Amino acid sequence: MKLREVAYSRSGDKGDVSNICVFPHDDGDYEWLREVLTAEVVAKAFGDLVAGTVTRYEVPVNCCLNFVLTEALAGGVSMSLRVDPHGKAYQSLILAIDLPERQARS
Amino acid sequence: MRLNIGSGSAYANDRLDTAAAMADSGRVTYMGFDCLAERTMALAQIRRMSDPDSGQDERIGALVPVLKNFLASGGRVVGNFGAANPDAAATDFAAGLTHLGITGTRIGIIRGDDVRDTVLAHDLDLPELGTTSRALGERIVSANAYIGADPVVECLQQDAQIVLGGRLADPSLFVGPICHELGWSLDDWDRVATATLAGHLLECGVHSTGGNFEDPPYRTVPDPHHLSFPLAEIDDEELVVTKLDGTGGAVDVRTTRTQLYYEIHDPTRYLTPDVTADFSGVRLEEVGPDRVRLSGARGTPRPETLKVLVGVDLGYKAVAEISYGGPGCVDRARRAEEVVRRRLEPIRDRIDELRIELHGVNTLFGDRMPAGEPAEVRLRLAARALDPEVAEAAAYEIEYLYFGPAGGGGVVTSVVPAIVVTPALLPRSEVPLSVEVISA
Repeated sequence: MKLREVAYSRSGDKGDVSNICVFPHDDGDYEWLREVLTAEVVAKAFGDLVAGTVTRYEVPVNCCLNFVLTEALAGGVSMSLRVDPHGKAYQSLILAIDLPERQARS
Repeated sequence: MRLNIGSGSAYANDRLDTAAAMADSGRVTYMGFDCLAERTMALAQIRRMSDPDSGQDERIGALVPVLKNFLASGGRVVGNFGAANPDAAATDFAAGLTHLGITGTRIGIIRGDDVRDTVLAHDLDLPELGTTSRALGERIVSANAYIGADPVVECLQQDAQIVLGGRLADPSLFVGPICHELGWSLDDWDRVATATLAGHLLECGVHSTGGNFEDPPYRTVPDPHHLSFPLAEIDDEELVVTKLDGTGGAVDVRTTRTQLYYEIHDPTRYLTPDVTADFSGVRLEEVGPDRVRLSGARGTPRPETLKVLVGVDLGYKAVAEISYGGPGCVDRARRAEEVVRRRLEPIRDRIDELRIELHGVNTLFGDRMPAGEPAEVRLRLAARALDPEVAEAAAYEIEYLYFGPAGGGGVVTSVVPAIVVTPALLPRSEVPLSVEVISA
């Protein structure tokens, strides 16, 4: 299952740092997402697009997982030679992550 | 006392019809215009370098007529229209008002965010470039500090109807009016955090009402061609974000929380010139159609340092593209890449960075997502070099692919100055600000 089937996201940029916040379509999935969508999983999905680190911040009150990716924009929006210097499309790459099948919720 | 304040712009080229709808709605008495992004500031500095009377927002002449009735009814406007040249922005506003036959409008000008001389005098660390300001010397073309709500409040206290500055921080455009009108002290940190929350949700314009949101079939909003800028209704008791009636899009928990954490790193420590805001306990509640009430923002004292964006001249950037289609298009494009790399070998050491990719295959995500065989691909070269002739030579090799692998077409090339902006920090005491209110 792709993350896109159970969650949505938005990515933003500040300098060479990208942040991608992720929310479940159904807030009942938040605890499960917290278990499976770790910083390690996101770091693996982004591979060498991210030269720095991936840190995950949790905001349970809004069912938010906020991923902060450093050295992730090829130098930042004004420096980058990439097509998408802002990393606007990163919100779509994170939604392509394959998740393990979910256990039925009790 | 309840203040209704609307967004009028989210970036330097935002739509004037959306601003006009807010101005003529009768719903708001203040509008905040964010006209800047990191790259916008650099582009504005480039314009000012070639013409000392330029570097301000380029829409002011067209915007003044849009705001005519709003201003006539007493509406007030705050914006970072100044970009690299606040005085030139004031001149444009004054000229626009005069042209409409309006006299006596008080315009507040905020000066002091331009800190290039200070940055050059210090040996400031530039962590993202891995160097210092002294090492770069004259290649530093600009430095602007993100400044907060204090001078905005000062202008409003002096009855300015239009307040403009340079690198006024995005949320501060709204924090100033909110604190001024509601009598909130700029060191009442929870309230400043609440005002900053409102500003954060307004400063990106339609990002809060359905823009950059749809992903069918999972996420859709009605009439996405006709979005409204957001507005906030705020008083001592509550903050509600909503949009104009009769517009498309949506203001609900989904759209609001998506924007709430946009460009936020640690949600417990969002640093602005005005406050250290904690948005980790913000509660969202749908209280009506397209109405979301927000509560629970907390604040602690503002940072003692200000973020500065330092513009550095890194020469020239070339971008050039050519398309291949049909069977074997990816193989022909990769062959073309080999040809270009071989031809660039003699000048490769004078190219500081080179990137050659294929639209339709790997420009957005590198090799992170498997690509099939598309119907067409577009080879894209991007190169940065100090010497403009080197940048031109790199772009020329894409043009010359008309004589490369078969069927290449649709060449487009460009070479533009490469001014990068990079962050640094300065103590507040190094950024003295001043305001002047003139009568236009």
